[in-house]
Amino acid sequence: MAATSNTLLQGTLDGLILKTLTWGPRHGYGIARWLRTTSDDTLTIEDRALYLSLHRLEERGWVAAEWGLSDNNRKAKFYRLTPEGKRELKAERERLTEYARAILRVFASTIAEPSA
Amino acid sequence: MSLFRLPRSLRRIHRDVDDEIRFHIDSRIGALVAGGMSPDDARRTAEREYGDVAASRAELTEVDHRILARERWLEWMDSSWQHITYAMRGLRARPAFAIAVVITLALGIGANAAIFSVVDRLLFRLPPLLREPALVNRLYAAFPSPEHDGQNFFVENIPWLRYQDIVNATRSFTRTAGYSDQQLALRTGDDVREVHVGAVSASFFDFFDAPPALGRYFNAAEDMPPSGALVVVLSYGTWQTRYAGRSDALGATLQIGPATYTVVGVAPEQFVGVWTDEPPVAFIPVAAFLGAADDRRRGKTWFTSYDLDWATMLVERKRGVSIAAANADLTAALRRSWKEQGGPPDLQPHGLAESILTERGPNQRSVSRVAALVGGMAFIVLMITCANVASLLLARALRRRREIAVRLALGVSRARLLAQLLTESVLLAVLGGIAGLVVAHWGSTVLGRMLLPAGADTRVLTDTRTLGFVGVPVLMTGILTGLAPAWLAVHVDVVRHLKNSGHGDTLRTSRARMALLVVQGALSVILLVGAGLFVRSLNNVKALPLGYDADRVLTVALNMRDVNLDSGAAVALRERLLATAMRVPGVEHAALHLTLPFVNTALGNIQADSLVRRGLPNFRINAVTPDYFATMGTRILRGRGISTADASGAPAAVVVSKRMANLLWPGRDALGQCVREGGEKTCRLVVGIAEDIKGNILDDDTGLHYYYAAAQFKPQRNGVVLRMRGDAASGVEVVRRTIQREMPGAASVSVTPFANAIEQERESWRLGATMFSIFGALALVLAAIGLYSTLAYSVTQRSHEMGVRIALGAQATDVIWLVVRQGLVFGGAGVLLGGVAASIAANRFASLLFSESPRDPVVYASVGGVLLTIAAVASAIPARRAARVDPNVSLRSE
Repeated sequence: MAATSNTLLQGTLDGLILKTLTWGPRHGYGIARWLRTTSDDTLTIEDRALYLSLHRLEERGWVAAEWGLSDNNRKAKFYRLTPEGKRELKAERERLTEYARAILRVFASTIAEPSA
Repeated sequence: MSLFRLPRSLRRIHRDVDDEIRFHIDSRIGALVAGGMSPDDARRTAEREYGDVAASRAELTEVDHRILARERWLEWMDSSWQHITYAMRGLRARPAFAIAVVITLALGIGANAAIFSVVDRLLFRLPPLLREPALVNRLYAAFPSPEHDGQNFFVENIPWLRYQDIVNATRSFTRTAGYSDQQLALRTGDDVREVHVGAVSASFFDFFDAPPALGRYFNAAEDMPPSGALVVVLSYGTWQTRYAGRSDALGATLQIGPATYTVVGVAPEQFVGVWTDEPPVAFIPVAAFLGAADDRRRGKTWFTSYDLDWATMLVERKRGVSIAAANADLTAALRRSWKEQGGPPDLQPHGLAESILTERGPNQRSVSRVAALVGGMAFIVLMITCANVASLLLARALRRRREIAVRLALGVSRARLLAQLLTESVLLAVLGGIAGLVVAHWGSTVLGRMLLPAGADTRVLTDTRTLGFVGVPVLMTGILTGLAPAWLAVHVDVVRHLKNSGHGDTLRTSRARMALLVVQGALSVILLVGAGLFVRSLNNVKALPLGYDADRVLTVALNMRDVNLDSGAAVALRERLLATAMRVPGVEHAALHLTLPFVNTALGNIQADSLVRRGLPNFRINAVTPDYFATMGTRILRGRGISTADASGAPAAVVVSKRMANLLWPGRDALGQCVREGGEKTCRLVVGIAEDIKGNILDDDTGLHYYYAAAQFKPQRNGVVLRMRGDAASGVEVVRRTIQREMPGAASVSVTPFANAIEQERESWRLGATMFSIFGALALVLAAIGLYSTLAYSVTQRSHEMGVRIALGAQATDVIWLVVRQGLVFGGAGVLLGGVAASIAANRFASLLFSESPRDPVVYASVGGVLLTIAAVASAIPARRAARVDPNVSLRSE
């Protein structure tokens, strides 16, 4: 089952990006590539949406941006996690866990509808 | 991978976004080509995968703009905060300077704000919510008056018939209305209070864009003669306080005066009618007020007679109708009405459409003119203040030149330095402004009590117009007075100031300061001359012989409220009150009177055989009991005063004033002559001649007064006047309580010292004397501070020169004289300039003075002397310091 970018909520994309950056600063292309590889091509994210997320994350202070040199010595814009970003990532993870747990509880329930 | 940051700017944003997108797409193309795709396919795929590049560029740029803006904002906040803390530290290091500036600003700005808030309310603030404030006028009828030397006297209240005549005959007005304000007794249960009520015509509310908060206003049918309908519209405040804003206030009843009214509506919150200083508690139809009046005859005839006043007329001109055109229209209508009434044809009235504000109309009190003058004066003081502050800031900036040179040499940009210095002066200005508000709050309360009606709102802290008026000078002071010195200091020659210890350069800058000082001195002279002229006027007024001795006299006024007595009972009541008054301990004399100078005078209609009537009569009538002349202290010059022999039934007697005797019977003996009152047949014989008195206007010497015996005159009205053995004010309560016991029903008495009425007449000169003295002293202090600081600075700059002089043999006195002479030159220049300006200004305002020439040499000479003395004192202190310079130290510090 392929989850397309249409079904991914903006908030989730932000969370994925923040998670990706926990492994060190990356440029936008690197993030896109990593997400594709790690999810085994299941997650296809429109690049445009990715960059919009990145810039908005910078606006909110969760990531910081700097220009640097890529592996091929080309000028590229690198993003890294800020302390506020780390905190937000932790909070987002907790929110998602709660959400997932709630859904699982419903699906796993064996109790029928309580009698009126 | 190296990381480096480049500074952001607007142009870079577009470039960076392009670079980032291009990097991504190129990298993807590279990866696809490495995986075996053709370059063209790779490009197409990569671009497809990316999405709409142009749209992406736009949205990314937008976000980056926001990021940049935020960054810049934070930077600005940070550097401002740095500037402020630095400035505060600098001020704390030099507290004397900071305090001097803040106090100077506080006094200047505060005084200005206080005066503005009062003068604005008197002269400028129009009633709120008017639909067309520029087109609304109040009508005055101007009649030529021989007793005022052919000048006009202005009538505000017109009869209802006249109003109808004008409305029918004029074409210039969109709408007209009438209004009058009344003090009426508002009764709730047992509680009775006198409140301000607006008696207005139904069309009054159409002048305002003010839909009622509840219910409706009264309509034309409820304002028709003979007595309208007993309906009332509450003010918003009254609705909130008495009925807690409940909607069942509609239909409630209120007893106002003698009648009971039903509430039909509530006015909106801002609405005060035309009474900005004292908003009425409620509004009733004029017809209802007049119809329900105590005087039964008036209640029936107010709409059929030209003799009875109705209200003041309010008009709204049609668009395009000028005031002159409206006046012409009004005059024509007035004259037709006057003819219709059968008024004397030699008294042709003019119509005048004037401002709603009483103090801008022809009946303006002289107090208001003084108040306007005071306003101009406060502005002058504000200018002095700014000059002083500029001067102090300039001195400080010049002292810091070395420090500034060092900072510039270390690489601080001039812009940043300028910002720093500006922050300092703005900070001072803001502190001064805050302190100024405190001064303004106190000052406006004091001034308001003097100039505005009691109960007027004088709050400054919530008054947006005044706050704006204060805010502007605060900011302007901070920026302008800080700008010039800061600019000067920053454009300093770095090299020169690093090299030497800062001598020289005194000439160029001190010329500016010299000019400032002379101007300050001149302005102080102007204000002090004003003070001197007003003080002398006030003394002249106080020394004026009145023809009676007001000091220990109390007046008792009767307030009958809704108690109606027939004439017999009224006479008996007055006699009883007089007898009671005589018995109060401490009372030396007591008498009844019909009229009283300054409190209420009336024109009589006297006829004598030798009198040729010209114009309106100017004879002021009184009817008194025997002890009157002793009570008032008016001397009888010839013959006798009214005595107990002049009872009803005895031959009618009259006492005339000296001027009246000379006018009616020149060259002959007035005693025994015959006069008649009105259309009477019986003669009243002159039995005595009394000294002339001031009846109505202090500088009027044309009053003609005469006195009948109270027992021989009808009607018997008005109250008691008594003379105390001791101080009048202390007897007020005792007298009031004793006499109040004799009053029937809800009627009451009020007792006031007669001197209060006289004091009120002197108010304008007293105001001028007080305000000019205060501001003159203030200006003088500021000028002295300015002079002191200038000379102190100059002495410090010239310490080298002083050292040389002393080393060459100059005595201490020589050095002192050197400095003091400089101070005296400044002072002298200020006196000269100020004296000339003052005499020009005083000429224009000569009419506000009393028996005082605007060029009074005593005043000018004393002011000049005071200024020169202060200049000498202010320069003596730095002079002493100059004389103590140790030549060893100063010569070596080169």
